[in-house]
Amino acid sequence: MSAREIHGIGAPFGPAQPGAPENREFALIGKPTAKIDGLAKATGALQYADDIQLPGMLHAKTLRSPHAHARIRSIDVSAALALPGVHAVISGRDLPERYGVIPWTQDETALAVDKVRFIGDPVAAVAAVDEDTANQALRLIKVEYEPLYAYFDPRESLVRHDPVIHEDKKDGNISKHVELVFGDVEGELKASDLVVEDDYTFHGTTHAAIEPHCAVATQAADGLLTVWSSTQITHYVHRALAKVLGLDPARIRVVQPALGGAFGGKSDPFSLEFCVAKLAMITGRPVKMLWTREEVFYAHRGRHPMQLHYRTGVTKDGRIRAVDARILIDGGSYSSFGLVTTYYSGQLLTGPYDFPTYRFHSTRVFTNKPPCGPKRGHGSVQPRFAFEVQLDEVAERLGLDPIELRRRNFQGGHTRTVNGQRITSNGFLKCLEEVERASGWQQRRGKLGRGRGLGIAGSMYISGTNYPVYPNEMPQAGIQIAAERSGRVTVFTGGNDIGQGSNSMVAYIVAEELGLDLAQVRVVAADTDLCPVDLGAYSSRVTFMVGNAAIDAARKLRALIVEAVAAEWKVEQARVRLINGRVIDMQDSARSISSAQALQITEARHDTLGSTGSYNTPKLGGDYRGGTIGASPAYSFTAHVVEVQVCEETGRIRVERCWIAHDCGRALNPMIVAGQMEGSAYMGIAEALLEEHGVNRFGLHAGPSLLDYRIPTAIDTPELAARIVESLDPEGPYGAKEAGEGPLHPSIPAISNAVFDAVGIRLRHLPFTPGKVLEQLRTARAMTQGKQSGQVSRC
Amino acid sequence: MLRMPRFELLEPTTLEAALSALAERPEKSMVIAGGTDLLPNLKHELFTPERVVSLARIASLRSVRELDQGWLSLGAMLKLEEIAAHETLRRRYPALAQAASLVAGPQLRTMGTLGGNVLLDTRCQWYNQTYFWRQALGFCLKKDGTLCHVVEGGSKCVAAASNDTAPALMTLGAELVIVGPAGQRVVRIDDFWLADGAANKKLDPGEILVEIRLPPTTPGHRGAYGKLRMRDSIDFPLLSVAARVDLDSSGKVSHADLVIGALQARPVRIKKLDSVLAGVQTGGDAWKTAVSQAAELAYRQCHPMPNVPGDHEWRREMVPVYVRHTLESAVRGDGPVHGL
Amino acid sequence: MRILKLQINGDLHELAAPDHWTLLEVLRYSLQLTGSKQGCDKGDCGACTGLVDGKPVLSCLTLAATAQGHEITTIEGLLPAHRRAGGEGADPIQRAFDRCGALQCGFCQPGMMLSARALLSRNAQPTRAEIRSALSGNLCRCTGYTQIFEAVESAVCEQLGVAPKPRAWETPSPESGS
Repeated sequence: MSAREIHGIGAPFGPAQPGAPENREFALIGKPTAKIDGLAKATGALQYADDIQLPGMLHAKTLRSPHAHARIRSIDVSAALALPGVHAVISGRDLPERYGVIPWTQDETALAVDKVRFIGDPVAAVAAVDEDTANQALRLIKVEYEPLYAYFDPRESLVRHDPVIHEDKKDGNISKHVELVFGDVEGELKASDLVVEDDYTFHGTTHAAIEPHCAVATQAADGLLTVWSSTQITHYVHRALAKVLGLDPARIRVVQPALGGAFGGKSDPFSLEFCVAKLAMITGRPVKMLWTREEVFYAHRGRHPMQLHYRTGVTKDGRIRAVDARILIDGGSYSSFGLVTTYYSGQLLTGPYDFPTYRFHSTRVFTNKPPCGPKRGHGSVQPRFAFEVQLDEVAERLGLDPIELRRRNFQGGHTRTVNGQRITSNGFLKCLEEVERASGWQQRRGKLGRGRGLGIAGSMYISGTNYPVYPNEMPQAGIQIAAERSGRVTVFTGGNDIGQGSNSMVAYIVAEELGLDLAQVRVVAADTDLCPVDLGAYSSRVTFMVGNAAIDAARKLRALIVEAVAAEWKVEQARVRLINGRVIDMQDSARSISSAQALQITEARHDTLGSTGSYNTPKLGGDYRGGTIGASPAYSFTAHVVEVQVCEETGRIRVERCWIAHDCGRALNPMIVAGQMEGSAYMGIAEALLEEHGVNRFGLHAGPSLLDYRIPTAIDTPELAARIVESLDPEGPYGAKEAGEGPLHPSIPAISNAVFDAVGIRLRHLPFTPGKVLEQLRTARAMTQGKQSGQVSRC
Repeated sequence: MLRMPRFELLEPTTLEAALSALAERPEKSMVIAGGTDLLPNLKHELFTPERVVSLARIASLRSVRELDQGWLSLGAMLKLEEIAAHETLRRRYPALAQAASLVAGPQLRTMGTLGGNVLLDTRCQWYNQTYFWRQALGFCLKKDGTLCHVVEGGSKCVAAASNDTAPALMTLGAELVIVGPAGQRVVRIDDFWLADGAANKKLDPGEILVEIRLPPTTPGHRGAYGKLRMRDSIDFPLLSVAARVDLDSSGKVSHADLVIGALQARPVRIKKLDSVLAGVQTGGDAWKTAVSQAAELAYRQCHPMPNVPGDHEWRREMVPVYVRHTLESAVRGDGPVHGL
Repeated sequence: MRILKLQINGDLHELAAPDHWTLLEVLRYSLQLTGSKQGCDKGDCGACTGLVDGKPVLSCLTLAATAQGHEITTIEGLLPAHRRAGGEGADPIQRAFDRCGALQCGFCQPGMMLSARALLSRNAQPTRAEIRSALSGNLCRCTGYTQIFEAVESAVCEQLGVAPKPRAWETPSPESGS
């Protein structure tokens, strides 16, 4: 078998042959099984990064820039070093090597070298006997700055390039520019019966995982460096540490302990990982750095603010002829994943609707604000918001039901998008049908009385990216399995369980394939010393890629077991079935042994038991520069209907219910899939109504705390109803696709569209704060004065 | 973890011991009750006391006592959760119980005290931040600096009184019992405030608020509390409204009072309210009109500033809305008003 | 530095800590009871929630010394207490959270479960609105709270011996008409 083997959508064993499409006889897959680490989490036993305490451990703290943009004239750390209890102080010159998650745009250093680019940019780090001493030492570091003109408005960065934020960039303050044209957009727009054109704004939001970033490092006397970090991509941290520290990667071990949420916010290598490593190397002692919540807000890498302009041309029966987008992206102070963001802002819009022609023009600029990066639905949540609101307006102008309009433009399954992406399974129509029925759309929309409304939106998202961020031909996911005579099977995966349950997913698959009880399976994950390389938890790749690798490895081991047992029993291999912790003879019910006995037979006949498996993507993507960005082996599809109540006295939008239908290919565990869908919808709704990651007029984060950055409480979250749609993707593990990011997208435009149904105003500029809603209601009333009664929905 | 500056903690078991603990270095000592306001402020280095004196072990500060002539005494260390759930308070002083029920979230109401809430430090988006943040800005008028970032060029701090219970207590005519080195004094809560956000309370270092006294209410007393906030838990008020409507036996308004919080350094009483509400029969059209007039009156008198986070123009628009709903709710007896 | 005597999960611990240390710092760094999490530094998130005399409080805003003389329960105390009372496995609320998928990253959940445990101790059959309210001081970023509500309701149903009502994703959709 090869890394690109397609395993089929069926169960490994069943009445039909393994892999047959009609085969639904799974033992574990498809069932709402508890997680393998659930009770460890529930009892507080699981160890997160800050739970690690090593003997003799020092505590490190970071000195940060109080200037948004400044040159560093000098740094004097002597007083800090002289403070009793301080063991080391480092600054930018100690770690000058650049890094950055995208190899072509490496513009970060662990600590600022010569220049700071936002308020909060790390400048120096101290390791001391305890946190209080480290904090005290920070105040003794003297930094002389020469303040520079600072950019807070991306429109200014577009046109002004003096001073430049990154001196060596060719294009002044432009981080990345992409323009791609597919077909005769202008011609099609001219020929359209209706063109809707408007501006949209997406504000900045951040991940706000409840666990703050933390890293611990220790260097053994023989030089082996170990770093535990709350990262969602162990492998990239490993590579970046080797580069920045100048160490042989074979002498570095990176471990991700249990992780307290990430959502993209722990994807980049971060300053603290390099700092603890360097400080541990200098001091010869373990060093921990735990960021305060405020520091997490500065580290950011959250959703890029975007200013979007869309033109959509349609025929009079509602078929899209052309879509034209112009997008300005506020990247903040560093590149991070920004190159990809810029492509994604255009590349990921070309489904689930058919675009005959399409153009996008996206520009990411630098500003002196915390750096933006990937947040759940990376790069595509913002354009999706704009486009789905515009689509609703198309439906309104044509007098069509918004769901019907979306149906008419459905691109279908097993097709190719206008920008050359291959679509495999596509359950979007079923998603529409589910939310239409569950919400009572036909009976209720437009009939709920003024103030209450329903809104729809759809979306598409990737199940992994086709290419790793650094080009190579090696597998994107690898699995090793070790089995022994007790019946215990351990699976080693480089995949990062960030709470989404990927370790459990691996265990379910291996147990399913080898017919084991789940309790027999252990998973060892995200430890670069123990596990094969995996590219980590981003771009919704884990279930698809790690799942396929797990099937691959398990089937190789299963073949050994079946062969050994069949030989032992002297029967045809087809009679040997592995199920529920036993191995049975399909034709002789009296013949049945335990999994452990089967492993003993196999071990005796073969050797010490183990297997490996991997996954790599097929060659995909459009044949043009950037055509591979946005290419994915499979795409997920989502539709939401939200029900809102708009109070016209206060301007407050209350989302009362949200119906989420998501095509995840196959739900390997429907309970976990539903949890991802609910969590996604909750996060989208919060972005629309409550959250804003902004800087004030001084360039200072407006409220870097969980008090001022308001994530919803249990009272503020609506009733969420998850409806799982299974399209059985031909290449996903048992047909599975992603579920962790796609279901966020539609909630935001669906709210805008529901507000239109409720009170007749179009909200095009996020966030939908009550003040803005009142303002628009007033404008709308002024325009329709005399035509309507002064009816107002009261709270 | 965000750390607190070092201090010495004392936990006296009697009021006398607490007073003498403070008396040694009154300017460098602070009192801690529930700690839910003080500890974040210490972590932000808004205060750096050498000594912190806890009142938690003084049992006498946690009692509810009936006094002469129908007055009720509430110990300053009663928990907000106890105030919110107290049957007598809910019946006789509904605005207070409702205000306590809307402070922050459940854990903080379990910890926070009535006295602590009355003495809550004023709040401002430029002030309730870490040392690093404030220093990046060059600090502000209220702490360590000379500039006001709310009112550019302003010379007086406009940090907002954000204590939910204070407006309610003002409508109830509460009195505060304060003890200090010079003995005990009783002050009307209305007279307790100063119009300076940097120091909005007439409380000297070394003094302790021990008791809140409430005058009797009549059977016709109605009250309610309204709170504007973005989330329906945890958040401080963006605006708060305490309403009092006393009805005579025929259902006419004999006395009304409105106090608005989270605007400026002290809670603001709406003036001339009796001129629109007194004598009005509740329930009918006249009442509706009178409530609208009261809302208009409040709108004209209240001017939220960009001191607490949030859109201050919207906060101003919400003044009449919350006033109307809170007055109506007071008469109906179905408060509190929140989450509109 | 002072000697503290803290009654935690049924044990009396004597330890030395500076006066300005919070209960959270003592739990995590002196006693290695790291189940109490630190999420926001200062009372905004609820991850450090513990029970003091059965009531949920924030250990990050509690000075360790002031917790003396009170009965402190952390997440580590639930299972042993359940066993001491003759139970099997973990505490019913822990099992319900596990069973219902409420534990995604798990970081907020120790605090969440203690708030839920306190709710069920004073109200054996809370409505969903009461559950929402009781948990409204514990922020969760993963779940959208739905599976947490379902877990609390499932624990109630288990206690009553009735089946919980099916979740949205469990109800099969009617066959499509087209």
